[in-house]
Amino acid sequence: MDNTHTLPFFDFFHISDREMQKVLDLALSRGGDFSEIFCEYRIHSSILMEEDIIKETGESIGMGIGIRVISGDKTGYAYTNDLSPAKINSAAITAASIANGKIRQKAVPLNFKTNTHNLYPIVQSGKEALLEAKIDLAKKAYLTAQRFDAAIQKVRVSFADLTRYITILNSEGLKVSDVQPMIKLVCLAVAERGESREAGFSGGGGRVGLEYFTGTLTPEEIGREAAQEAVQLLDASPSPAGEMPVILSPGHSGVLIHEAVGHLIEADFLRKKTSIFWNKSGQKIARENVTIYDDPTIPYFRGSYNIDDEGTQPEKTLVIENGKLVGFLQDRLSSSLMKMSLTGHGRRQDFSCIPIPRMSNTYIAGGEYDREEIIRSVAKGFYADKFQGGQVEDSGKFTFSVSSGFLIEDGRLTTPVKQATLIGTNIDILNKIEKIGSDLKFGLQTGTCGKGGQGAPVTDGCPTIKISQMTVGGIK
Amino acid sequence: MKDRQSEDYRELAEWLIGFTRSKGADEVEVTILDGTEFSLDVRLGEIENLIEAGSRHLDFKVIKDQKTAYASTSDLDKETLKRLVINGIDRAELSNRDICAGISPHIQSTGKPDGLGIYDPMVREMDSREKIRMATETERIALEDKRITNSHGASMETREVQTTLANSNGFFGQYSETLFSLGVALQAGETDNMVEGSWGSTCRFLKEIEPEAHIARKAVERTVRQLDPRKIQTQNIPIIFEPRMTGWLLGFLFSCLTGTSVYQKTTFLAGKLGEQIADKKITVFDDGRMSGKLGTAPFDSEGVPTSRKTVIESGVLKTYLNNTYSARKLDMESTGNADGSGVGPTNFYLKPGENDQLEIIKTMSKGLILTRTMGHGLNPVNGDISRGAFGLWIEDGEIAYPVSEVTISGNLGRILKEIEIIGNDLEFRSPICGPTILIGEMTVAGQSG
Repeated sequence: MDNTHTLPFFDFFHISDREMQKVLDLALSRGGDFSEIFCEYRIHSSILMEEDIIKETGESIGMGIGIRVISGDKTGYAYTNDLSPAKINSAAITAASIANGKIRQKAVPLNFKTNTHNLYPIVQSGKEALLEAKIDLAKKAYLTAQRFDAAIQKVRVSFADLTRYITILNSEGLKVSDVQPMIKLVCLAVAERGESREAGFSGGGGRVGLEYFTGTLTPEEIGREAAQEAVQLLDASPSPAGEMPVILSPGHSGVLIHEAVGHLIEADFLRKKTSIFWNKSGQKIARENVTIYDDPTIPYFRGSYNIDDEGTQPEKTLVIENGKLVGFLQDRLSSSLMKMSLTGHGRRQDFSCIPIPRMSNTYIAGGEYDREEIIRSVAKGFYADKFQGGQVEDSGKFTFSVSSGFLIEDGRLTTPVKQATLIGTNIDILNKIEKIGSDLKFGLQTGTCGKGGQGAPVTDGCPTIKISQMTVGGIK
Repeated sequence: MKDRQSEDYRELAEWLIGFTRSKGADEVEVTILDGTEFSLDVRLGEIENLIEAGSRHLDFKVIKDQKTAYASTSDLDKETLKRLVINGIDRAELSNRDICAGISPHIQSTGKPDGLGIYDPMVREMDSREKIRMATETERIALEDKRITNSHGASMETREVQTTLANSNGFFGQYSETLFSLGVALQAGETDNMVEGSWGSTCRFLKEIEPEAHIARKAVERTVRQLDPRKIQTQNIPIIFEPRMTGWLLGFLFSCLTGTSVYQKTTFLAGKLGEQIADKKITVFDDGRMSGKLGTAPFDSEGVPTSRKTVIESGVLKTYLNNTYSARKLDMESTGNADGSGVGPTNFYLKPGENDQLEIIKTMSKGLILTRTMGHGLNPVNGDISRGAFGLWIEDGEIAYPVSEVTISGNLGRILKEIEIIGNDLEFRSPICGPTILIGEMTVAGQSG
């Protein structure tokens, strides 16, 4: 897909640069410091297979314009998907009213900026591919899961692809566009034996084309992994309860980094001093073996983008270096109020939302230990294998929900266990990361992070990690 | 009401049905949503964000030879719609025949939602200065309390949505509804010992919003009561669920009672119709016709009239909640719970008992009041629950100290049978709600020992 030259909005929206310039000026007419127009057009298609049939397919088009005006630390925002000039002007006037003075400046003439890089050079885009080809992928995952074991009673597979065209224009003269593809194939399998019934889940995708499913991850592997987890859980015991050493599996456990660290280094929480880290910049907040990055520039990843939703070219951001807090994730508003540089982490769910600082692909860098060596170091503990997700609050308290794991006895993984919750406070846990494996992996390319009611596609990564002591919630 | 607009949407829906039929579809159902939103965040006395917007959206479902395709768009241009219809009919061909596919056979519209009390004309008359005053005042009162150290801000939101629904069986229905909400979120304590709490009020009518001072005081109380928490030892103890937490538990129960989860075998309550699944004290309703409530609507997203259903009666499971599709799969009738392409609650609530919350606390010699949970950890397939938890420790019938960083574990199937006391403090603060309840035993995990 050609990312550098397309200007789809002007096809979809029929609005000229001159008109846009006028709207930016109108938005500044009450004395705002900054005005911005965010244009979005999205095409989404979906397939659902269950009960052995392709049950339904869907196609969805979303489009609209969001106009933002910043005045000091205040934001005025208005959006519309009625693109008549009257409605757009009225949105500009509404957003402008966050300031209540006289016009102080005009918008700088627009200057189209081309992206110099493309993080998602794909061959066969989801949008262009035939529906038959996508149905075929769903069927392959479905049949593999179904045939995996006689205990598999139910399989559900869904495929979705999204193409998002965005253009950002602002009063500083910026005009930049991106075409962001996204694909997701997920499989849910339910296994039953006697009274016992368990579910397994797997999936894959990212900012990729259909070629991903013949090279990186096949639909068969996705189906097999979901079915395998469901069947394995049939024999799983309830999780133990109490404090104990915990080992986190590589890949899936990245959700811990996302929750325990990621949210609290989003600049809005620091600026408002609601994050436990607000006064800890430059200080040691973790053991020395801990280094954490957030990197929106990993090719083809779900959390990556050529430009963020404010038009900023993103950077790989070092957040924690050898235990020291060194970086935050910034958007325009927070970076200007904190007088720090932009990092390209201003994201929004869609045109109806104000951009806020968000994570992209967050990971803890690999360490020196061999995975087996880490497991051998635990006499009695808990191995967290797969996760349903996590949650954190600004005070640093976080939880994450383990869907499957193992007991560790005498340095070996033994009984499979199910459904446990890990809970802790971030600084405490960051200082209990005793060993880090050399086996950095990323979790499934299917995750969506929620913040302030907005969803954003993300990934997270993590090597095998040993936490010396953590509360595991199970059944006594 | 926007009469001109209502008429335009009616014409658009009828045109789309005609066009889709002329292209060979057997059945078609069209939904048009038109919404207006105002939202305001005030933090530390200053406006932080002000959002005002209008949006509209059209969804349709086509069925040809019992094969289904969906489409949706916020571009209501007729050329776009024609293209989506033609694509949809083509796509339907690639689906498989599904004998349960189809739109609702109901054609009787209940007409205007008169008497349901879900629209307040104040949504248009209200001055934005008044909205700013309400949010600012709520936060100001909360911040007067010196124990509060920071604020996430106060928010005021108003929303108006008009729904137009029509199908090729001849159904046509249209209604407007409003929502007003005011709330504040606070922090207390110092950096390394921070706690968070919030309170808010969401209503159909502006005049029903709780007074600013009440919201502020509730938010303060809910925040500071968590200060200086302790961890507790891992043990099995009785648990009191505050109304908000009962609502959370009922939300999980609802997801286990949808016809969709039953035919998909993703719920432990599949095959339990007519069985005693809960203690005899338990009666649960789903009622879409309660005047002025948040889950009230004249008809569901397929045009089936809403009604009052007894879902669990004295512990016996009486019905699942169905849309047209799940009902056909299970050889049942739709219960008027279609919500988009899934199944949703109307007003789903646990019938209150007689005891007030203080009396319930007094009966407890040792246990935990659950005030908040965190995380995921709900498994409808087997009913297992495992969450991060916050609460208040009870000793000899009195609150002793706050508890944090623990987890609670249990199983919904067992919890339903072990509900020992039901409180009288039911308030319809959200579409799914319940009063205070006391559960005989759950595992709380904390420190070892």
